[in-house]
Amino acid sequence: MNYPVWDVAFGAGLLMALVAGLHVFVSHFAVGGGLFLVLTEWKARRSNDAALLGWLKAHTKFFVLTTVVFGAMTGVGIWFTIGLISPTATSDLIHIYVWGWAIEWVFFFLEITAALLYLYGWDKLEPRLHQWYGWIYFITAYASLVVINGIITFMLTPGHWIENHRFWSGFFNPTNWPSLAFRSCICLALAGIYALITASVQKDAALKARIVRWAALWTVPSLALLPLFAWWYIRRIPPDLWASARGAMPTGTMFAGLACVLLGVTLLLALLALAWPKRLHLAFALVVALVAFGAMDSFEFVRESVRKPYVIENYLYANSLYAGPMAGDGGFTVDKVSDAGVLKSARWVKIRELSPGNQVAAGREIFRVECASCHTPDSYRGIHQLLVQREWDQDTIKSMIGGLYLMHNGVMPPFAGTDAELDALAAYLATLQTAHPVVGGAVDGKTVYEHDCAMCHALRANDHLFSNMPRDPKTAVDALKDLPGMFPVMPDLKLTEGERTGLVQWVNTVRPAAAQPALPQPAAAAPSKGGN
Amino acid sequence: MIDPGIVPSLDPNPLPAPYWVFKLLLVVTFTLHMMAMNLMLGGAALALLARWRKSNAYGNRIFLDVAKKVPSLMAATISLGIAPLLFVQVLYGQYFYTSSILVAWPWFLVIVLVIAAYYGFYFVAYRGEQRSLAAGRAMLFSTTLVLVVGFIYTNNMTLGLVPARWAQKYLNGASGWHLNLTEPTLFPRYLHFMTSAIAVGGLLLVLIAWANWKRDRQYALALFRFGGKAFLYANMAQIVIGMGFLVSLPREERMLFMGDNPLGAALLGIGMVGTFAIIFLMFAALRNGNIRLAGLGVTGITAVVIATMCVMRDILRDAYLKPYLNAQPFAVQTQWSPLLLFLGLFVAGVVLWAVMLWRYGFFTKAGETGK
Repeated sequence: MNYPVWDVAFGAGLLMALVAGLHVFVSHFAVGGGLFLVLTEWKARRSNDAALLGWLKAHTKFFVLTTVVFGAMTGVGIWFTIGLISPTATSDLIHIYVWGWAIEWVFFFLEITAALLYLYGWDKLEPRLHQWYGWIYFITAYASLVVINGIITFMLTPGHWIENHRFWSGFFNPTNWPSLAFRSCICLALAGIYALITASVQKDAALKARIVRWAALWTVPSLALLPLFAWWYIRRIPPDLWASARGAMPTGTMFAGLACVLLGVTLLLALLALAWPKRLHLAFALVVALVAFGAMDSFEFVRESVRKPYVIENYLYANSLYAGPMAGDGGFTVDKVSDAGVLKSARWVKIRELSPGNQVAAGREIFRVECASCHTPDSYRGIHQLLVQREWDQDTIKSMIGGLYLMHNGVMPPFAGTDAELDALAAYLATLQTAHPVVGGAVDGKTVYEHDCAMCHALRANDHLFSNMPRDPKTAVDALKDLPGMFPVMPDLKLTEGERTGLVQWVNTVRPAAAQPALPQPAAAAPSKGGN
Repeated sequence: MIDPGIVPSLDPNPLPAPYWVFKLLLVVTFTLHMMAMNLMLGGAALALLARWRKSNAYGNRIFLDVAKKVPSLMAATISLGIAPLLFVQVLYGQYFYTSSILVAWPWFLVIVLVIAAYYGFYFVAYRGEQRSLAAGRAMLFSTTLVLVVGFIYTNNMTLGLVPARWAQKYLNGASGWHLNLTEPTLFPRYLHFMTSAIAVGGLLLVLIAWANWKRDRQYALALFRFGGKAFLYANMAQIVIGMGFLVSLPREERMLFMGDNPLGAALLGIGMVGTFAIIFLMFAALRNGNIRLAGLGVTGITAVVIATMCVMRDILRDAYLKPYLNAQPFAVQTQWSPLLLFLGLFVAGVVLWAVMLWRYGFFTKAGETGK
């Protein structure tokens, strides 16, 4: 609202994921691969292995062309992109950590210089001096990782910074060390995985086997250690956030599962390469890299998912509103915008006053300034798809937006705006609805649950829906008439008698099963299991 | 109409050092970035030109020699560009983010274009000899991309200076395709920067000539003449283009450099005198075959001229933004320990950087090696 919102038709979030996803896979290689270069050179020179040295020289070129060009530029690309999509967060992070970024720049500059001199120095420098450049490269590249890791972990777990606003409190936050250990392992593993790519095209089978075995020393132990550091990492994330990856939030849970599976597959493939080191084919090496890419990006998605709805946890929401009032917030907090109204607070809207004739148009503008940093009308995280899936009408949409912050473990920020603006937003979103449920037909309770309840409730014994709903069907059906009367934060849904009856019947059917200890399945997926 | 309300509010976090610290870092690092960019782009453009000029017997050799330097100059341009991009966001984030969002797609494409150009330059550096025809095309392709990137930068940077135009542009379409083509200073400004690149690219050739002076005098002379002439022509053109840029500025801003702002006027004076001086000196150096005069004297004065231009650019920016800048002053709360750590690492980094170049042989064999 403070800044204009860039309207990316296919979704700004997707663009961000694309740039960042490509960058992390190269940037971690840039760090681990640096150590790989110097240690491999040391090993090759110690054992007078001219063939290995020859390969390493070619591998250096591949390394520099990948990391210095693509890695560095996509890193700048992340910066360009977050400035376009989350300018408020970028501005915050720049002002809080400008000295961190500046320090990182010093390391980056040295890193690039050392990488180029190491590459050009292969034929020119005597071995000790050449390795000296390699070590400078690795140390400065690792130092860059240390700085960036501190700032990225700050975004998820700002720790005491929230109270004292001190640079080092935020930097040495609760997840800094476990994340650094975790990422260091990724760096080492990727050094081995990328080495497989250039090794696979070697004609000398014996040389190829030597490289594959050496690369496995980097990949296998690092991958095996990752779960240990992941466990440490997860333990330092507040449990209520981590719940998003344990079933409360479908996307986060899916990516957590995917990260585990793909990590396992990567390890398996690395072991397979080791089993037949002479026969390693380029296609196989690329598959290993692709699976590792999937594993790594899944992890990054999990990190981003559990952080939601914040960009900086407990400080700034993904839609650039501050979580609470503070000096200099510019009026851009949920409460202040709710008091003043979105259309009065935002700088970048045409419509300032609501009238009966401009409801949909105003709703579209509200959507743009408040929702479009993550959602699109009908593409990535598309509202159209969500609405069709759940068959909500305008009234239901309105009720549900009122309780956004309760959905999927609080993955969404609360709606900020006046009641009339909420009406306008609902009116606009209703234009995206194309599904029209059959009225008056038989109502399946499970469907009602999936459409109207599952985004906040989960099928487990201690969930209010299952533990507190009256056992007597008639009492329950009556109670569901007035949801806010039952519990004040409930949305004021107007369920028909048929829907209420169906829902109660279904809840009573699955309740005994649900009365078991908490089920780990994702909320949306669980009913299909319980219902059968 | 000036409406300070259109400019986004500052975020709640204070500046972690006094304003002038960031201003100094911004101007200094931007100047270094400009020098690297000029060497890279000018070098690439002149390499192409050398190859096309059939009359020059050394055309292809010059092309290949200069092309080998371009990827490293590109790396320097990017590395030195990161710092001013950081410091401009510290001091001018509200303007910079907003204009970037208005021109979001071209701005985003900068990344794609630079990556493509960069790989093109590497292709020429590594395969230029074996694949001559493809190398020429790749060089043309990459140089064109860099010219496009420069044009996008000029659009974004000028758009950031005119908040009065933002709302109308944004409300006409939020999909991020608003170049600033109606801006009267756009083309003179862009040409001013690009011509400067040609001039400095000429100096790069002179420096390469100097490095080859003892080893291969014939070739060095050819490089010297070609680079020196490019430098002369570009600077002569620059006098006209620079005047055009000055004239295209709004009256109030123009008058800053004509006496309203003594520092601005003095800098313009130094810049003009410096430009005439480098033209004269290069002319003399070419006539007398005095490579030292060109390599040392002209380069030194040119660096001073570039620095004055960068300070003038900063004065101009603050003049444009004057009505808005005072509307919301910065709070300052210095973060001493990270600041001192940065300064310490910065000094150590510069020393280590110099040692790296020195041990590689950059300084020791000047005049003998081609590296």
